[in-house]
Amino acid sequence: MEPVIRVENLVKRLAGRGLGRRVKAFTAVDSVSFSILPRATLALVGESGSGKSTLALCLAGLERVTSGRIWFEGRDLAALAEKELRAVRPRLQLVFQDPASSLNPWWTVGEIVAEPLLVNGRTAKREGHARAALVLEQVGLAAEYLERRAQDLSGGQRQRVAIARALILEPKLLILDEVLSALDCSIQAQIANLLVEIQRAYGLAYLFVTHDLRMAAHLADEIAVMSGGKIVEQGVTQDILRNPRRFETQSLLAASRVEPEAM
Amino acid sequence: MSGASAITRFLLRRLAHAAFLLFGVSVLAFFFSTFAPGNYFDDMRLNPQISAEQLTALRADYQLDRPMPVRYIRWAGAVLHGDLGLSFAYNTPVGPLLWARARNTLLLTGTAAVLVWMLALPLGVWSAEKLGRPADVALSWATAVLLIIPDLALALGLLVLAVRSGWLPTGGMVSVGSDGFSAAHRVRDVAWHMVLPVAVLVASALPVLLRHVRAAMAEALQAPFLRAAEGQGISRRRLLLRYALPAAAHPLIALFGFSVGTLLSGSLLVEVVMSWPGLGPFLLEAILARDLYVVIGAVLLSTLFLVAGNFVADLLLYWADPRIRAEASRR
Amino acid sequence: MSARSRLLVCAAVLGTLHLSVACGGFLAPYDPAAQDREHPYAPPMRPHFVDTQGQIHLRPFFYAQALRTGSFEEYAENRATAIPVKFFVSGAPYRVLGLLPLRVHLFGGGVPIFLLGSDAYGRDLLSRVLFGGQVSLLAGLIGAGLTLSIGLCIGAVAGFWGGWKDEVLMRVAELFLALPWIYLLFAMRAFLPLTVPPLQAFLLVVMVLGAVGWARPARIVRGIVLSAKERDFVRAARGFGASDAYLLRRHILPQTASVVLTQAAILVPHFVLAEMTLSFLGLGVPEPVASWGNMLAALQHYNVLVSYWWMYLPALVMVPFFLGYLVLASLLHGSYGTSKIE
Repeated sequence: MEPVIRVENLVKRLAGRGLGRRVKAFTAVDSVSFSILPRATLALVGESGSGKSTLALCLAGLERVTSGRIWFEGRDLAALAEKELRAVRPRLQLVFQDPASSLNPWWTVGEIVAEPLLVNGRTAKREGHARAALVLEQVGLAAEYLERRAQDLSGGQRQRVAIARALILEPKLLILDEVLSALDCSIQAQIANLLVEIQRAYGLAYLFVTHDLRMAAHLADEIAVMSGGKIVEQGVTQDILRNPRRFETQSLLAASRVEPEAM
Repeated sequence: MSGASAITRFLLRRLAHAAFLLFGVSVLAFFFSTFAPGNYFDDMRLNPQISAEQLTALRADYQLDRPMPVRYIRWAGAVLHGDLGLSFAYNTPVGPLLWARARNTLLLTGTAAVLVWMLALPLGVWSAEKLGRPADVALSWATAVLLIIPDLALALGLLVLAVRSGWLPTGGMVSVGSDGFSAAHRVRDVAWHMVLPVAVLVASALPVLLRHVRAAMAEALQAPFLRAAEGQGISRRRLLLRYALPAAAHPLIALFGFSVGTLLSGSLLVEVVMSWPGLGPFLLEAILARDLYVVIGAVLLSTLFLVAGNFVADLLLYWADPRIRAEASRR
Repeated sequence: MSARSRLLVCAAVLGTLHLSVACGGFLAPYDPAAQDREHPYAPPMRPHFVDTQGQIHLRPFFYAQALRTGSFEEYAENRATAIPVKFFVSGAPYRVLGLLPLRVHLFGGGVPIFLLGSDAYGRDLLSRVLFGGQVSLLAGLIGAGLTLSIGLCIGAVAGFWGGWKDEVLMRVAELFLALPWIYLLFAMRAFLPLTVPPLQAFLLVVMVLGAVGWARPARIVRGIVLSAKERDFVRAARGFGASDAYLLRRHILPQTASVVLTQAAILVPHFVLAEMTLSFLGLGVPEPVASWGNMLAALQHYNVLVSYWWMYLPALVMVPFFLGYLVLASLLHGSYGTSKIE
């Protein structure tokens, strides 16, 4: 089966900012390669600073790649110009970690969810709102939420809205950048289950970025462990949990206290 | 990094910055003068006392026929040698003319600055302490009253008062016949003449300054480390002077630069209304007489004063705020 | 009272003040340029309700004022004839908002009624104050609007695109802020034609005001744009294909609204005062058009300053407006901002 996305030797170097100051380059993503099959979930696990969020942003086209390739729908996203990228974007969506900042607090839910449709200019306002209502239902929010302002919602509700917004363009791949980390424990489980449902319903592939190995184990078919910008260990979920070979994997395991048998 | 070289580097950097500002403003001024519709000498042509030959000679003299960049370079070069050009109206070098007036403006603005800070600091600290209480509210209302009276109204109003009451001189800097006064008498005479203009300047600048001082102090007083010190039983006075004031130093010193700008701006009108022989009336006269080099010179001089004021503020800030010192020595 | 209702009340009061000036043509009894050489420097006339016989009238009336025989300055009331005030009289023509021609005035009478006195040419001061207010307030409003628009554009460009555009623009802004602002204003005015007809002079004043005050708003807007463009919802919008223009228009610039409003409330009175200063010194709107500034120019003469106190009134007319804007600014500021000066 053709993978939905294939990343080849992706490198992202961050330059130090400012004129005349010492420019210290820092390699956030150091030659990373992986691929994700359709309807599958790859979890990218690592501590903060491991480069996983930068990688997620690169895939979503929100950061320019230094070198490497991102094969998606037969094209190399890293080589595309902004305009061409715009055509591809709808099918590769990113959900951010903090729902408080990823949604414009002054906008209503309806406006937020419908925005992707209206931005591309393909849809009229009324149709956009109708589609928004449908998607909202899918994420478990009733139509009455359409008129509520984002700032009036709880964390869990906001994340649902963020997911709905990502879904409305009917993407093939959803990049979930630490989407559960900002939520309360009880809500985390709810949203995680919602994600599983949605994956089944829409036939999506997921790149699930997290520092929590437990969550990763719950959702993912494959796990890639990232550290210092590199993927240090990769494999099927059960294998990683049962036989963690790298020190980084082991410490992540210890940090999240996963019982392999509990799976 | 030795402290001496760090401070020298900081000084040099700020000086370079100041020089850049002055240079930039001079370019701006010259730039605007090129876009002046109509020739500077058009108005002079209307003056019957100046003949056509004189006009052509003047034009050649001032090289007003040359393109702007050439004129600017020539002028800039002259300025760096201390020559600010020639005044069309007075037919004398601009420099000495301006400097005599500038001294008077400095005297006025300087005195006003000292006074306004002498009032704003204690009042600001006091009202920050009594934040929200009746005394503070009353003071806020009083300053609001001052704030809403335009300084034009204030200046004219005080002038009327002076005229009617006869207590204070109604304008000018010195009384008639002051040449014959003894030194002490002359000082007293000037001081007496300064009362009204300084009063207007202080009254117009005080409200805004007071508000900002109060806000800065209020913020400093709410800092946790202050509360901790309070809990240790340190006296109120020591608390204010040794803890709160240094914490508020940063915004306060920035305010100093800001106040210099406000006072310099305010001084223009006050000087004209009160006939104080400073830069203000001179600039006005030059504008009306289309005296190009005087206008540019006056504008530059006022910029110099403001830049100098900000430079002093930068130095004070450097001395007061250890963070800036640390950052500067790291570079 | 909630913050919102306080804001509305303040805006309403300010709006009424502006409306009464806008209706200057109607509220003023005379044409501001109409001269009455027989009544120069006439003091303000008091309306009376009780006549010489002690009878109370509901309709106020005035006693005609005339120069005392042999004097050039003193006025005496002629108590023989009482002139009742007539309301909604037809008088000198004027145009509402420059468009609609009307002739009806709120009040008037047979003889000149100078509620606020008259000036050297016998022109009614009340009428001149109202029409002058139109000029001064309009100059302040348009000037502030212009400067804020420029500041908004420049701040948005500098903050959003950064790089060399940001450096250059902010350096230029720094230059504009390096001068004491009155000197900058006068310098700019200096390089424009001095003797121009009133309308052009007005436009020049507005232009100069607009060109002078943009630096501070630009810096503030730039700061907001800088932080706004890093917000996740902006990146998210980029993630589904939003263009730069869309991001600015829909997400970033709306966040500057509160600051721009507060700046407006601070700048308008500042600019009105600037126009008054320019006109007072002969660099603004010239005679015969009235402006609060040039009406005060007469006070530069010692004689006028001392003898004719009513000539001072235009200086105080600004006060309620200042108060209104001050309250508005602090209400807006309290809802949004910090106390730091930028």
